[in-house]
Amino acid sequence: MSDSYAYAGQILRVDLSAGKTWADPFTPEDQRKYIGGAGLGAKILWEEVPPEVAWDDPGNRLIMATGPLAGLPIWGTGGLTVVTRGALTGGATNTNANGFFGANIKLCGYDALVLQGRSEGWVYVHIQDDRVELKDATHLLGKDTWETQQALESELGLSGHQLSVYSIGPAGENLVRFAAIQGDYGHVASKNGCGAVMGSKRVKAVVIERGGKGISVAHMKALYAAADEIAHNLQNDPSTKGLYLYGTLGGVRNLHGMGALPIRNYTTNVWPDGLETKKWEGPSLREGFDHRGHQCNACGMYHCHMQVISSGPHKGAIVDEPEYEGWSGAGWATGATEPSEVSWMNTQLDRACVDVNEWGWLCGWVMECQEKGYISESDLGFRLEWGDIEGANRLLQMISRREGMGDLLAEGVKRASEKVGGEAADCAIYTMKGDSPRGHDHRARWEEMLDTCTGGGGTMDTAPAVQPTEFGLPARIGAQDPDLVPLAVGTMRGRRHFEDSLGACVFTTRVRMEVLCRSIEAATGWDIRREEAMTAGRRTATLFRAFNLRCGIGPELERPSKRYGSTPVDGPLKGVSIMDQWEKMLDIWYETVGYDRATGRPTAETLAALDLEELIEPLWGKEAAARV
Amino acid sequence: MKVLKIVPERCTGCMRCELACSYEQTGAFQPSKSVIRVSAFEGHTSYSPYTCPQCDEGWCLTACPVEAISINAAGAKDVMDEACVGCKLCTIACPYGTIFYDPARHKAFKCDLCGGAPACVDVCPRAAILYEEAEVSDWVGPFAAERTHGPGGALTAEVK
Amino acid sequence: MAKRHVIVGGGTAGWNAITTIREIDGGDSEIILVSAENPYSRMVLPYYLSQEIGEAHVFTASETRLGALGVETRFGRRAVRLNPNDNKLILDDDEELAYDDLLIATGSSAVRAPVPGADGANVHSFWTLDQAKEVTASLKPGVRVAMIGAGFISFTILNALIKRGADLTVIEIAPRILPRMVDDAGAEIVQGWLEERGVKILAGAEITSIEDAPGGGKTLKLKAGANIEADLVIMATGIKTNLEWLEGSGVEVNSGVVVNDHLRSSDSNIYAAGDVAEGPDLLGDGKAVHAIEPTAMQHGRVAGANMAGLDTAYEGSLLMNIVDVLDLEIASFGNWNDEDAEVIQIVKKDRPAYRKLLFNGGRLVGAILLGRSRDIWMTNDVGMLKGLVQSGCDLSEWKEHLRGNPFDIKRAYLAVGASGSLIPETLLGRPSVPERDIAVQS
Repeated sequence: MSDSYAYAGQILRVDLSAGKTWADPFTPEDQRKYIGGAGLGAKILWEEVPPEVAWDDPGNRLIMATGPLAGLPIWGTGGLTVVTRGALTGGATNTNANGFFGANIKLCGYDALVLQGRSEGWVYVHIQDDRVELKDATHLLGKDTWETQQALESELGLSGHQLSVYSIGPAGENLVRFAAIQGDYGHVASKNGCGAVMGSKRVKAVVIERGGKGISVAHMKALYAAADEIAHNLQNDPSTKGLYLYGTLGGVRNLHGMGALPIRNYTTNVWPDGLETKKWEGPSLREGFDHRGHQCNACGMYHCHMQVISSGPHKGAIVDEPEYEGWSGAGWATGATEPSEVSWMNTQLDRACVDVNEWGWLCGWVMECQEKGYISESDLGFRLEWGDIEGANRLLQMISRREGMGDLLAEGVKRASEKVGGEAADCAIYTMKGDSPRGHDHRARWEEMLDTCTGGGGTMDTAPAVQPTEFGLPARIGAQDPDLVPLAVGTMRGRRHFEDSLGACVFTTRVRMEVLCRSIEAATGWDIRREEAMTAGRRTATLFRAFNLRCGIGPELERPSKRYGSTPVDGPLKGVSIMDQWEKMLDIWYETVGYDRATGRPTAETLAALDLEELIEPLWGKEAAARV
Repeated sequence: MKVLKIVPERCTGCMRCELACSYEQTGAFQPSKSVIRVSAFEGHTSYSPYTCPQCDEGWCLTACPVEAISINAAGAKDVMDEACVGCKLCTIACPYGTIFYDPARHKAFKCDLCGGAPACVDVCPRAAILYEEAEVSDWVGPFAAERTHGPGGALTAEVK
Repeated sequence: MAKRHVIVGGGTAGWNAITTIREIDGGDSEIILVSAENPYSRMVLPYYLSQEIGEAHVFTASETRLGALGVETRFGRRAVRLNPNDNKLILDDDEELAYDDLLIATGSSAVRAPVPGADGANVHSFWTLDQAKEVTASLKPGVRVAMIGAGFISFTILNALIKRGADLTVIEIAPRILPRMVDDAGAEIVQGWLEERGVKILAGAEITSIEDAPGGGKTLKLKAGANIEADLVIMATGIKTNLEWLEGSGVEVNSGVVVNDHLRSSDSNIYAAGDVAEGPDLLGDGKAVHAIEPTAMQHGRVAGANMAGLDTAYEGSLLMNIVDVLDLEIASFGNWNDEDAEVIQIVKKDRPAYRKLLFNGGRLVGAILLGRSRDIWMTNDVGMLKGLVQSGCDLSEWKEHLRGNPFDIKRAYLAVGASGSLIPETLLGRPSVPERDIAVQS
């Protein structure tokens, strides 16, 4: 057992080129400074991946980290954070999944796994306490993620949560730029092509046996008290009660009313005629299926269910209940409006293993381009209409195997649309960095568009304000308020990075920071308060930004594509333009976060305040470093 | 006698019971030392904990050659560490597979109902484990039978 | 007048018979225990050898405890003759004990390989407490130990010998180690495991003589191959049932005292239990001697219940053994070597792990499990496999699945309702009472 509470105290390193594995210490000093997860990943990425190491270079690092709360009896603490140089933006990636990765790897004695190099042949990494092996994975090639987990369960003779398998599907094997990593049946770290990075290293899966080690905590009773408080808040706070009961299922209906449901590739914000809208309420989405709990480590939320599809062509199929993002990406963005079909498609995406958001924008774009004649039937090989689920799945299989036009589409919607060019280029949704926006229509959620475009991790960095009053912000902030939106995004910056460092789920950390800090204090024994937590989060955000700047990703790319930043043509926000306010919002945001507006660099003062003095010289030069 | 009544339909496989149980056993969260253990059924859609039924025979108790297993105040068969030599006879005698051997301590260990306040019951977020007056029963069997025959069950083809 | 039970042998079977009689009659009978040794538990001798426990921990039924249970003792005495016609037992000091019923629980003794020098100096058996004391006294770090025999008894003391620093060589005449506990594939894994950890193993090696070597050591000469030099020789070459004293008694004896499902011998007021008894076999129609601790316990309890006047039938004994060597756990159940059974097996050399399941139709009739003690498969499955063999639950529909993954026993066990079918089963048809909780009226 480790010397420090709550941590395993070790980082497992695997050099795939050399076929070597070893453990480095995760020192108490680094634990406190970087916390774990995203913070630890950002540090390793900054220190070990120089700009000349591209995403598919063996020198890239694929960091799969967890944090101090993982494996403890706090709700939703199986967290996995994947940090790497990603395939879509060519910059930093910070993407998360849950399940049991975090718990199980910590019980094996590690807070993180770092993959580097490239294996000669395909392997899977098999972790079983102190024993770490690279095993031949040839027989797993071509299998989707669920088939891979099943095959390994049978091969290793373990079932249920005794074995965590986080793998890539055919998409990752074929270096699809938006390939994801999926684990424990339905938990996906999906952003920025982290699955392609894993594929480029020729790692099919990371397989963790539920370890035999123990995690000790500083104050057990206080930990349970904090866990109970978090649970109580999630169950009773009006802002989280819906999540507690239905996860993110309630999103579809609510967001439609705000114009934030991205229907048919942002071409409309109005329900289709004749839609049975009741089907899309949270309770209906759940009760329409034989649904069964499938919770992450120690979680009591009614979120993360499995479903047995009860009607239609896929009756009897077991699928993972979609998140809102799935209803959006596998459904609304592509015009699909039948829940059981969307649900089935969502799981096909998890299994072939691509990012559901990028999928929505890509598939929706292809559908629109076919409708408008920018991509012909012979280009694609078949006709793909809005809402055609079987056609969408056909496209998915083509892309994940890079067959026909699938080879081009596998590059992601930004590159594909730029290649196709012409009018087709104007209807694709992405940021100029190449990130996949999340599954809302951000033309109605300005905070998210601003956040996605300024973010450093391959998608939104900060997400909508949680408990904003704790940060001196108004309780309610208008979604299109050009002054308050950037202030809120800037002020909250770091909170999500901190949460992503804990090995916990962002849905169970939606409580006041002081409550969260109490749980960390009970676990680690630190007297940590909100200020320290936010500083740690901002430090992580700043490391990612510095990394991206070093890779040549600067403020000139901090804007949406033409369609992404377009003005809605119908619905509640018809005619309301975000781009009219864009520069103003950036001004306020830069001011708030303490980065230089012209160069995008965190100022020397900001760096010093975050205890990141070592970044001043690489970002600002020797002279500036000497001045501080 | 009060027993651990398991309601498998409510279990979501969060493993919180294993964490709490192992803390009682070892003072750390170490589920490999938990004496309540969760299994998954039907392609990860269904779960159930399983632990010692506190059977009337007490196969472990009668098998122990050094009388290291006794009945505690809660009525549970309980291993007394100072007497146990770690011969593992109880682990082959118990037909329920619910008494275990800890190679680190060379001792057998099993559910002692936490002396009458079972931690697994306290922490289950779904009340899938109850501590109630009831007959000793097989709480999991019928559920396991049903959830191994359905789609994705071990007895049907792989998850599709 | 109170009924008088005479118990011959103070081992597991005898002691369990006594406590069971007292559970039932609460002291309402006369019991006399004849035992050559002060009663102790053979199972714990290896832990005495390893010095994890002291001598006091070894004893089970002291004079004081037996006194409290209202048991009269004849310790240090042996039964030499049985006269069923007069209901009399004759002891080695010529005392004649009349009985209403009698339990034969005289167990078994170690036998040595028939080679010249087998009874020489520094050659020991490891079966009784006295023998354990001799070996314990001779051990010190670095001492060269030659262990003759690689069966269960030998393996129970390997850990202790290694812990005490012995330089160990194991010699087995059979072509493989553990010949009566695991099959070839299992033996190969165990041998590899031990050799990797510095234990020298010679299987298929026949010793032709054991001679004194200059300087006080021993030289073991082999039929083939180099001599083995040792400081200490331990003979773990098998056991034989202690039946000689029954000669002429008329009690039916085959490999052991033949008993029916009430543990009664051919004479209805003479019972036999434990290593010395040949009783019903859970898995067959025939009878068998299962010289193992769990059988001795069960025999003792069932015999005791019947002696106390209950009508308790015994379903039969199940062969089972478990031993761990340097954190590799080895267990086998039932008809693990049945050549007619349908076999499912898997070897995972790198882990290492081995599992063999033997079926007769849908019924599991035997199993071998082998793996590291920490593996979830071992800790979970040992008992469940026993439960499946014991309950006889129908696994027909699971066989195909288990063929692909023989480690997935727990789900099969739960789904076939093994637990539910076992819950009503108790040995005596009622809840067990720990020995220390038996109330005896004075």
